[in-house]
Amino acid sequence: MTPTRSPFSERRLLATPTSFQSQIYRALPEIERADAIVDRITKAIALGLLKVGERLPPEAALSDMFGVGGATLREALAELRDQGVVETRRGRSGGTFVVNQPRTQTDTIREWFLSTSISEIRDIGDEHAAIAAATVRLACERAEAHDVDRLQELARALVLATTPEVRASADSRFHIELAVSAQSPRLANAEIRLQEETVQQLWTPLAVAFDPETATAEHLELVRAVAQDQPEKAQKLVLEHIRRNIFHLIDTKLTLGYAQSIQDGQ
Amino acid sequence: MNPDNEVVHAANALTSWTSGVSTEIKELSRNVATLLERNLAGKSKVNKAALVGLDELSREFLTKNTFAVGAGTFLAAESVEKGGRALEWWSRKESGAIGRLDFDLTPGSNRYYDYEKLPFFSTAASTGEQTLWGPYIDYLGFEEYILTFAAPFSVHGNFAGVAGCDIRIKDLEPLLMPNLRVIPGDAALINASNRVILGNSGMYLVGERIKSGSPDLHRLALDVPHLGLSLIYTTQPQTS
Repeated sequence: MTPTRSPFSERRLLATPTSFQSQIYRALPEIERADAIVDRITKAIALGLLKVGERLPPEAALSDMFGVGGATLREALAELRDQGVVETRRGRSGGTFVVNQPRTQTDTIREWFLSTSISEIRDIGDEHAAIAAATVRLACERAEAHDVDRLQELARALVLATTPEVRASADSRFHIELAVSAQSPRLANAEIRLQEETVQQLWTPLAVAFDPETATAEHLELVRAVAQDQPEKAQKLVLEHIRRNIFHLIDTKLTLGYAQSIQDGQ
Repeated sequence: MNPDNEVVHAANALTSWTSGVSTEIKELSRNVATLLERNLAGKSKVNKAALVGLDELSREFLTKNTFAVGAGTFLAAESVEKGGRALEWWSRKESGAIGRLDFDLTPGSNRYYDYEKLPFFSTAASTGEQTLWGPYIDYLGFEEYILTFAAPFSVHGNFAGVAGCDIRIKDLEPLLMPNLRVIPGDAALINASNRVILGNSGMYLVGERIKSGSPDLHRLALDVPHLGLSLIYTTQPQTS
């Protein structure tokens, strides 16, 4: 690892978005406009801006206000109906009504645990271990001094976070930036996908609490190994880290999915 | 219940469940043999006409045994007429509908499914007994993480193929976990090659090979002939 870096590197980074930045900012297809409407209305109900029993404006007015075509609007309303959030009634006093509070994040995550088997969780861990091991070895070779500083800062952000949501985003940010410092866009993309898939499940307190201090200590130790260019040690640390995360997910799955069976068996 | 009783209780429950599957597979293979002998009416090689009715047997099996995701018959290539159809395999789709599964059986092709070389077929063929193969990823076949139960059958006294069923690992978990969770310590159902089929904690994860050596690790063979299943469990040091 070289302690110096090109003074232009940062500016170049801003001028040319990386492939995953372009992923984020790519043009929206129509379907995502429908998703955006679903998201907007769901949030409004969750925040109490729209109340259960309230009638939404007529379809023509809605598509006008959202600036979308009728087909896109109908797609969004169909999705909201599928989620059981709104109901469309026919007739003179008809229209689209808010009938239920949207599912919370916790509901969604509980549902994930109930519908995902232990073998699938193990498999996520297998893939994550493979990606992370290669990533951290490359990070040892390629990370610059400023990467190390940033990673340390991001590691500390996790222990400073006070809510599960902020912890989840601090944790995933750390791992994604670690992958970024390995300078492989494909590995970074894989890390982003894996984080999106599991980080909420890790931090949402459902059955067994997850300790941010331990995770932070592990992150900091990992950064030290990268800074000292110790690929063997860094790999060992990151594999243990992922193993512990996967154990936590499996524990949560066992508690949520099979707690009853212990009582039944006795 | 003391821990030993709980282990015995779990072992009995697992034995009873696997024996049940075993019995169903034996019956399927018997029915397949009977049907083929009747359809062949003395002819030696299986042709298209001889397969009539096999699809119904698979469908009936899947309708009755909801734990299975696929079921059917693989014929030994030797017993099939040249250019004939060598298998009849049906599987349950995501929607719940039951449909025929097609395999590429052209030797040398990129996606050739060389089933005669796969353990669920070759072991049943060489031993003449029932087999259990897995957990494995059935690449080019069903292409999921599964277990396969298979039983060989003979037509006019000669080995002619195997009948069997696939069970998805993710479907097996909710069926067997309650039995394993009765055991207070770490425990797992393992196959004949010492690999985990299902464990009751993060300690024993599906697919992993169990290395013997720990004096706290015990093994109890399940009384289901030929399948080679065992229950392993650890006894924790007594705390007084």
